Amino acid sequence: MPSKGIDFANLSLMDALDLAILVEDEALVRYEDFAAQMDQHRTPDAAKFFRYMAENEAKHGEQLAVRRAELFGSAPPTVSRALIFDIEAPDFDAARAFMSPRQAMQAALASEVKAHAFFVAALPVLKNAEVKALFEELRDEEILHQDLVKVELAKLPPDSGLSDDDFVDEPAAQ
Amino acid sequence: MRKDLVFGMAGSGGDGIVSAGDSLLQAAAAEGYHGVMTKSFGSQIRGGESSCRVRISTDPILNPGGNLDVAVALNWDDFLKFGAELPVSGTTVVIYEAATGVAENEIPLVGVTPLQVIAVPIAAMAKETAGTERAKNTVVLGLIAGWFGIGAVAVMKGIRKKLAKKGEELVEANQRAFDAGRAFAMAHPLKASMNIVASETKGDVKLITDGNDMCAAAAIFAGCQFFGGYPITPSTEIMQFFTDHVWKYGGAVLQAEDEIAGIGAAIGASFAGKKAMTATSGPGLSLKGEMMGLASIAELPLVIVDVQRGGPSTGLPTKTEQSDLFAAAFSAHGDVIRPVLAPTSVADTFRITIEAFNIAEYYQTPVIVLSDQEIASRKETMDPIDTTQFKIINRLRPAGADLVDYKRFKQTENHISPISHPGMLGGTYLASGIEHVESGAPTNSGSVHTRMNEKRTRKFDSLKDRKDLFEVTGDPHAPIAMIAWGSVAGVCREALAMAQAEGLNVKLLVPYLLYPVAEGVYNDFFGSVQKGLVIEQTHLAQTFKLLRMHLDLPKGLRSLARSGANPFLPGEIVAALHQLLSELQRSHEGKLQPQE
Amino acid sequence: MSATCEFQAKDYKSDLKPIWCPGCGDFSVVQGIYRALAAIGRPPHEIAFVSGIGCSSRIPGYTTAYGFNTIHGRALPIAQGIKLANPDLLVLAAGGDGDGFSIGGGHIAHLVRRNIDITYIVMDNQIYGLTKGQLSPTSQKGRVTCTSRFGSLEQPVNPLLYMLAYGAGFVAQASPTDLVGMAAIIEEAIRFPGFSFVNIQSPCVTYGEEAQQIKGLKAISESLVALGHNPADRLAAMDLAQHYGEKMHLGVFYRNPEPAPTYDGLVRERQALLSKDALPKERILDLFIKK
Ligand SMILES: Cc1ncc(C[n+]2csc(CCOP(=O)(O)OP(=O)(O)O)c2C)c(N)n1
Ligand code: SF4
Ligand SMILES: [Mg+2]
Repeated sequence: MPSKGIDFANLSLMDALDLAILVEDEALVRYEDFAAQMDQHRTPDAAKFFRYMAENEAKHGEQLAVRRAELFGSAPPTVSRALIFDIEAPDFDAARAFMSPRQAMQAALASEVKAHAFFVAALPVLKNAEVKALFEELRDEEILHQDLVKVELAKLPPDSGLSDDDFVDEPAAQ
Repeated sequence: MRKDLVFGMAGSGGDGIVSAGDSLLQAAAAEGYHGVMTKSFGSQIRGGESSCRVRISTDPILNPGGNLDVAVALNWDDFLKFGAELPVSGTTVVIYEAATGVAENEIPLVGVTPLQVIAVPIAAMAKETAGTERAKNTVVLGLIAGWFGIGAVAVMKGIRKKLAKKGEELVEANQRAFDAGRAFAMAHPLKASMNIVASETKGDVKLITDGNDMCAAAAIFAGCQFFGGYPITPSTEIMQFFTDHVWKYGGAVLQAEDEIAGIGAAIGASFAGKKAMTATSGPGLSLKGEMMGLASIAELPLVIVDVQRGGPSTGLPTKTEQSDLFAAAFSAHGDVIRPVLAPTSVADTFRITIEAFNIAEYYQTPVIVLSDQEIASRKETMDPIDTTQFKIINRLRPAGADLVDYKRFKQTENHISPISHPGMLGGTYLASGIEHVESGAPTNSGSVHTRMNEKRTRKFDSLKDRKDLFEVTGDPHAPIAMIAWGSVAGVCREALAMAQAEGLNVKLLVPYLLYPVAEGVYNDFFGSVQKGLVIEQTHLAQTFKLLRMHLDLPKGLRSLARSGANPFLPGEIVAALHQLLSELQRSHEGKLQPQE
Repeated sequence: MSATCEFQAKDYKSDLKPIWCPGCGDFSVVQGIYRALAAIGRPPHEIAFVSGIGCSSRIPGYTTAYGFNTIHGRALPIAQGIKLANPDLLVLAAGGDGDGFSIGGGHIAHLVRRNIDITYIVMDNQIYGLTKGQLSPTSQKGRVTCTSRFGSLEQPVNPLLYMLAYGAGFVAQASPTDLVGMAAIIEEAIRFPGFSFVNIQSPCVTYGEEAQQIKGLKAISESLVALGHNPADRLAAMDLAQHYGEKMHLGVFYRNPEPAPTYDGLVRERQALLSKDALPKERILDLFIKK
């Protein structure tokens, strides 16, 4: 379970919303990091896709934040970043030099699947009905995200079947 | 009556000859004389041969002297091992242990007939008066007091102080041994009296110390607050001095696990904003190369003392040499200028060490102080030094405006950029051994590298104008010249005085700044030079070659170079100068004659 | 010492763009460090971050602290000089497995026994990354690299056991499979009063083997807390540490419950004790007067 000491059974709606915002934020930061890595390594297509994912996460995060503000104003959050890890963000080593857009999309897809699994796993433990509803919503959201990525994937021309590693330069020693 | 006496004494470690030398030097200082003492040892850790030279004079002393006036041999095997370090001539009085069984006309010194040879039953006298042969060294001091008029009162005063804690009985035993030696001398006067004239400065305060302690004291005076190092002969005493004192000034000392860590810690301390130093000898200098390069490119002030000994590798760990010059100037890869300074005596080690810190701080650079075994471990008496005359320079700190969008390696007119340190708000930057742009961010751009190389080397241009880091003595228009540095400079100063007294028109250039080579200063000096010598204790003539690399040397300038542990004597240098003069005269005559 | 305003992870992130290969484990380490520093809350200018040479050693530049990217293997000696010169600073040292345990290996025992209050983070990828994939001191026996074409013939060192045996007061391991845990461990290491060591299994995606990537690491990872390990028990810690290379235990192996005095602390005490004996500096040569 990629989370630490979250007491799902007694999770309040405010905490659940705050956690959800953190999950989006974590993914946002990771995608931005990946986009920067791709920029830095001259892989603009993958960078563009990761940035697109970052925007999605940002948008979603904002929507959640608005809801949170409407319901709870500026009440200080009681959950922290330390409670979650890699729920919707791809693994650190999911990025690769010279990633094709397809590989980038597959990495994102994997993490959406991972996020979906997180919500699915948490649902049976939840007691608070409002929280349950929120988690169901988030779970379904992940399906939508997956579809979004799948649509992008479908737009790609078919894979050549060749390995990029056979074409690129070796890393530079220092 | 004499104004200057050179004593050379040798025995085995158990004879306490070096501690006798110490007592003699201190007594001489108490009586107002100037003194220099050097020690030399065999390779055994304990109990091998040991020797010392003590030179005592009514005038300030420039070096430990040439031929001995007085030789003391407690046994001949040991004495002979020191060869050229204890040269006996026709003007030497030789005193030796009668128990060696050698007749006065059969002493094992080939090719010389000393002025006078006296066998003294030193061991027997010690045994009889003090109850132990160990008191031989005190008997020797008594003999010296009796024959040469040094230390009649002061020697025993010193011994009394040294032994006070050990009990009156021991003091009395020494007193009896001393008196016996003195009485023996009185009863057997020398053929020609060699009493030293009384000093006019009797009662004035004198300092006595060696080059290592002086160097460490100067460092603390200059504001050094961190020392990192690793023990190595003959530099270790510098670390020991720090261990005793630096804490008192809010500083710290670290005996590191090796020389690399020692200089590393010092670089860290400098990065953290403190003046820092490390000290070592040849093998350690070799290890520090990479770190020195780091300090150069990161532009961090640092003083590295290298007390030279015979090299390469372990070489001659207890003997002096000047053969680390190339290593000091050139070790560590890359295009780099690292200033190298060299003191010529214990006394000027104070000034030169302060200069090293000032240069390090001002130019933000590692600076090497190239001391040598002789200066580092010889003891000198000297008049008190007015420390207030020395200016202390601290590194340029960023002021308010510099800290807005701070650029650690900002290009400036004099190529020196204000330097921040951790803890300073607004001054954060990345220091690195990798090439960097003005902000400190790494780069591998060729053009930035060129610019930064330019910055890091051009900043030293003004250092080469520092005429005060050179000493020219003698007639500035003299056709004959000497160039020498470090402990050899002292011998040459004396040779200069002797040559001038003999009517030779000679001058001497002593560089305290060895690197970068100050072309202008040398070219000025070369103006009148037709013949000359670059005198140094290196087998490969490193100084001569370093100069030739940077300058067009006058045709008549030659190298007089020899390996370490073979000291130069003022007399032989004067002879070499005479030779130059006669060559010069011959060539002038030659010019008058029609050429074939 | 001031931690007046609060800091966030992003306050420790510099503008420099990492040169690391995309996906390199070191990206996670720098994130973990940002978070740990934010939790501690010392302003960046009161932090000195020192490294050696290697891919991982680029890390100080990616923080807003005072950084010092030094030379291969020498981060620790330089870091200790900084701490001794100014004990008020928070001093971090970091580097690779080669930097720390090969060329710099001789320094570790001495840093540990001096117990200088710095935190040493090793990004252990069992390979020489920067020089393109040679055998490292933590590479497993049999490992094929460009300098061990037919497999390495040597046993790897065990960094955890090294540190425990030398007597380090704080020894822990983390990995990018658990960033939260990593941040917490780094934070705890920094807060530990004395020398602290964190070994981070940081995959090299370019030269690392498949088993050493995050998926592989996840498969062999085991939390020390979950195992019920008592971090005050040094012998138990050594027992567990023996599995370095086969299992990846995450968490604190050892935390000395009674931390020993630090060298830097003792230096301060000595300075305070002896400063009353100080001659004014301009009279320092009086030490050489022989009366
Ligand atoms: C004195 C010296 N020797 C060799 C090198 C070349 N070198 C640079 S980094 C490195 C090893 C890098 O491996 P590691 O320390 O594990 O760091 P990583 O790149 O894996 O993070 C080597 C051998 C050097 N820079 N300096
Ligand atoms: S070579 Fe390996 S260690 Fe170096 S940056 Fe690339 S992935 Fe990281
Ligand atoms: Mg490595």
